[in-house]
Amino acid sequence: MSNLAVLPIVIPLISGILLALLHKKIQLVRVLAQLFTGINLVVAIYIMYVVQKNGSIILESGGWDAPYSIVLVADLLSILLVVTTNIVALACVFYAPKSLSKQQEEFYFYTFFFMLISGVSGAFLTGDLFNLFVFFEVLLMASYALIVLGGGKVQLRESIKYVLINLFSSMLFVTTIAFLYSVVGTVNMAQIAQRVQEVDQKGILTTIAILLFFVFGTKAALFPLYYWLPKPYIVPNPVISALFGALLTKVGIYAILRVFTLIFVHDTDFTHNFFIWIAGFTLIFGAIGALSTNNIKLVISYNIIPAVGFMIMGIGLYNEAALSGTIYYLVHDMIIKAALFLLVGSVAYLAGTSDLRKIKGLIHHYPLLGWLFFLSAFVLAGIPPFSGFIGKLLLLQGGLQNDEVVIVIIALLSSLLILLSMIRIFVRGFWGEKDESIRVDKKAARAFTMPIVFLLFFSVLLGVGAELFYPMIENIAAYLLNPELYIESVLKE
Amino acid sequence: MLYAVLIPLLIACFIPYLSKFKDKIHTGIFVLFVPLSIFIYFLQFIDTNFVPVAQGYSWIPSLNISLDFYLDGLSLLFVLLISGIGTLVTLYSIFYLHKSERLGHFYVYLLMFMTAMLGVVLSDNVFVLYTFWELTSISSFLLIGYWHYRERSRYGALKSMLITVFGGLSMLGGFILLTIITGSTSIQEMISQTDVILNSPYLPLVMTFIFLGAFTKSAQFPFHIWLPDAMEAPTPVSAYLHSATMVKAGIYLIARFSPVFSAYEWFFIIVSGIGIITLCWGSYMAVRQTDLKGILAFSTISQLGMIMTMLGFGTKAAAFAAVFHILNHATFKGSLFMVAGIIDHETGSRDIRKLGGLMTLMPISATLALFGTFSMAGVPLPFLNGFYSKEMFFDVSLDLSSTSLFIAEIMKTSIPYLAVLGSIFTFVYSMYLFFGTFTGEKHLDELPSKPHEAPIGMLISPALLIVGVIIIGLIPNLVNEPLLAHAAKAISGEEVHKHIAFWHGFEAPLYMSLIVVIFGSILYIFRKKWTDIYLLIPGTLSLNKVYDRILDGSEKYSRKITNSYMDGSLRKYIALIMIATVLVTFTTMLTTDGFTIKTDDLAKVTVSEILIASVMVAAALGTIFARNNVAAILILGVVGFGLSVLFVLYRAPDLALTQLVVETITVALFLLCFYHLPNLRPRTESFKTKSVNAIIAISFGALMTMVAISAHSSKWFGAISEYFIENSYELGGGANMVNVILVDFRGIDTLFEIVVLGIAAFGIYAMIKLRSDKGVE
Repeated sequence: MSNLAVLPIVIPLISGILLALLHKKIQLVRVLAQLFTGINLVVAIYIMYVVQKNGSIILESGGWDAPYSIVLVADLLSILLVVTTNIVALACVFYAPKSLSKQQEEFYFYTFFFMLISGVSGAFLTGDLFNLFVFFEVLLMASYALIVLGGGKVQLRESIKYVLINLFSSMLFVTTIAFLYSVVGTVNMAQIAQRVQEVDQKGILTTIAILLFFVFGTKAALFPLYYWLPKPYIVPNPVISALFGALLTKVGIYAILRVFTLIFVHDTDFTHNFFIWIAGFTLIFGAIGALSTNNIKLVISYNIIPAVGFMIMGIGLYNEAALSGTIYYLVHDMIIKAALFLLVGSVAYLAGTSDLRKIKGLIHHYPLLGWLFFLSAFVLAGIPPFSGFIGKLLLLQGGLQNDEVVIVIIALLSSLLILLSMIRIFVRGFWGEKDESIRVDKKAARAFTMPIVFLLFFSVLLGVGAELFYPMIENIAAYLLNPELYIESVLKE
Repeated sequence: MLYAVLIPLLIACFIPYLSKFKDKIHTGIFVLFVPLSIFIYFLQFIDTNFVPVAQGYSWIPSLNISLDFYLDGLSLLFVLLISGIGTLVTLYSIFYLHKSERLGHFYVYLLMFMTAMLGVVLSDNVFVLYTFWELTSISSFLLIGYWHYRERSRYGALKSMLITVFGGLSMLGGFILLTIITGSTSIQEMISQTDVILNSPYLPLVMTFIFLGAFTKSAQFPFHIWLPDAMEAPTPVSAYLHSATMVKAGIYLIARFSPVFSAYEWFFIIVSGIGIITLCWGSYMAVRQTDLKGILAFSTISQLGMIMTMLGFGTKAAAFAAVFHILNHATFKGSLFMVAGIIDHETGSRDIRKLGGLMTLMPISATLALFGTFSMAGVPLPFLNGFYSKEMFFDVSLDLSSTSLFIAEIMKTSIPYLAVLGSIFTFVYSMYLFFGTFTGEKHLDELPSKPHEAPIGMLISPALLIVGVIIIGLIPNLVNEPLLAHAAKAISGEEVHKHIAFWHGFEAPLYMSLIVVIFGSILYIFRKKWTDIYLLIPGTLSLNKVYDRILDGSEKYSRKITNSYMDGSLRKYIALIMIATVLVTFTTMLTTDGFTIKTDDLAKVTVSEILIASVMVAAALGTIFARNNVAAILILGVVGFGLSVLFVLYRAPDLALTQLVVETITVALFLLCFYHLPNLRPRTESFKTKSVNAIIAISFGALMTMVAISAHSSKWFGAISEYFIENSYELGGGANMVNVILVDFRGIDTLFEIVVLGIAAFGIYAMIKLRSDKGVE
């Protein structure tokens, strides 16, 4: 037993509280926030190293034995996602001072930011279903605070939808946990898995599983549950949009991935096939949504949806290639979505509008930004040799291994639509005649690009250097396909 | 070979730096050495006894993606074309592009393309091939959009990218299927497993996927529409990418996989069928064009169709004829594009209606064009390489093996006729291209600038290509054994030896050639009389309109679809989410036999419980019908207080107290807030909407009730709460079990619930204090 597993949750928690106390000393707060995020990233990477060497780290909180205590489980999947979360966080924390108003920073942006990171890391690390609910609440409450930060009229209007739908799904979540507890008598995920397996997921259990899927599916923005996502995500400051777009839906996907590879795996013909259908519709409607608008921020926001479609596709296919694809895609998408939200945020700031019809020829003023956008369009569409390709390749392989030709064709076509939605922005917004009317602010552009370059570096590395990561991800997929490993590591039987 | 492929890309990294000196030294001069040295490097492989060379470098071994290069006859032919034409095009571009252009960009894209194209033809690993394939699409996009301030350039760039990336994605699907079928990512390994592939049930799908990739890239009907619009690119690019190399990538792909697929009878039908349609349609449409580059674009389409047709035949002789024509086409079409560029450069116009009589003004260009066009037309002269391959085409079209499929039989008989028909039009537009530009009346006043002969530097490249045309024409067997025979062998899988001769005797191909020349001349001379038929058939415009409609439609309809449900109404969103949840969960419960009800462990229901429950139900219903804020809140409070009474009945006084406190505070807070809020508006929805909403709400409630009953009736395990009951006093040291759970057993939950409250407090404080309309209060 090692206390390491709690650090990625506690470091941001303490940082958040500390920075709330210092909130008026904005220069100090910035430096500390950057420092703490950096430390948290280093710690997370160290934990990943330890986990890779010695196996999962199980922390039974309070010294009580599992399943009676809340366990934190830092296995490779959790810690990989925590590391990715902190990479995104680091980029955002450096972007924030340039993008936020001083008042927003003073009014506890950094506190909410750290609470969000704490909640997200907690959700990845916990091995307890009720505790997962609690961490969901932490990250949601932080997101509620962030989405209204600044208090614009549009922000308040859109955030009420965001809050209410998420509240609804939280209610459904806690109710469903109660149902599950009634049947299996425990909330420890390993023990639930063991007990569901014992009774072969009979009776009401599959129904409860589907309810849980709807809970997580609402968070993950799957078809037909994603209505709350696109518009609320673009109203706050770009750095907040980037955090949301990169992290929040992915927590939902992670929860589905965990629950439907660990616990409810005894009726995959029903549940997982259903996911493939959901994936198909999510891909189609998401891509259509991305084409439906001239608001560049909204294009990116809609593009979250087909991405989760890809991930749920892999969970539905439920073979090693497909699950590796989902995990690869998860990591890739966290990074590229953050980069894209920061990019369009910068573009909208520099162009003075996010309406594509009013932007042209930006590349004359901001060549680097233009090429970064160009690059990220291909990363997002899954063109090799970038990160999106590896994930997509694995997913398609997994699909064809299972003879699911239709979903593969849908996935290929939606890649084309995604590319179209992105390249349209490049062709219309960056290409074209020089627009002499805009006020050029090279200094701001340079400041914006650093964090974006940092993120895109990982996107390229994950693609070109796939050999560095893929073996680990393949291991994770194999590990997920054998739930006994998780159960044994937690319950030590 | 790795270096040969990657050097252009590496050099490209230095171009932005080198282009800073463009005022002193034209950036193209640095670039020129790259394709030249690659060309010289690969020249050494030309040899009668050439054997394929394989080289492998590791990249992502765990995904079976490795940089395996395989140089056989077919790759060698392409590599020499890419580097050879690349050298000439770079040379040409030095004089074509003025130093004031963004030369850095141009050469970066061009070098990127070279790497990509070399990679396509050298990769043995399908995924690496796909990577380079998409890179060719991307560099082509950037080159077509080079003058991106022009609307047409942007349009053409996007069009070419969408169509070729569509094909590329489809090809990727095919490649993945092939790797699953054969368990290998190497093309050579796949070829050795031809039997396995041919017996796979996926064969038709694999072929469709891969052919879509090839046909889109090689501009085959009906995907050819991107190529004419790609002519917006600077002319060196058109000569290089859109005539000599990139558009032949699809040809390469079909040729490469032809050992695998050619035994399948649909291979002939699809490849030759699409090829011959493209041949006829392209040449027919070329006559109609007025832009020099437009004529050449459709001519390229048509010629690619011809090569495709020959590949579809699947015979040894056809394979040879195909590779021979790949080489010949690159020479004469490359030079013609460059001449067209010269005319554009010197006269300022490419409109053939404004040109004419340039022979005397630009004699050298005219001579070059003469050889180029006559070779393209297949005029039977012994120094024109185009004639040889054209005649071989006629020859192989008459010699097709018989098949069992009816449709194949029909095609077999009709192909020679269609071949002649297409060639007649080829003859017509070739003549039109030459005579229309260089003879006839001069319209000098209509031209933007006064025409004169081009600088010598611009003429070198096309002249060298024309020399190639003539040399191959005079000594056709020069390249035969050392190069073409190996390429043909790679396609047909067997040794191919052929002696090329000018004179075959009085046989069918000769008569066909003569028919082409005679009818072609007649049609050309009387072209004014019959060109009205183009008005009858709307022509290429209709296909372009299909593309435009799809593209516009993709925006219009996606907007329509999306706006139809994303209308910002929260109530609608929740209703949709609930409907989905109810439908799916009910279905699940039915199909998995989930509903159970057990009554044996239920306690007796007392009168007081019934009473409280009914009050709660009534209050819950009452909230919906309340017309006043305050009333609604108070009635809602009744539900909460009812719950605390139930807690009292079930002997949980602590819970009852908590519930009471919570309820009191919330009601009080609500009342305080609502004082400042506008009153509830009366509901104005129709009865129908209301009933639908009622049904949704009731079924959701019913669902939760049924799941709750089933969950209660399925208590199959002892709960972990037993452990807490036993141990909370002894190990936890607290007599109140709930408290021990909260602060000890599950302390983390409590800690973070407190955090949630803390965040909420800070969030609300920030929301109240910081408002965008008022600033900080």
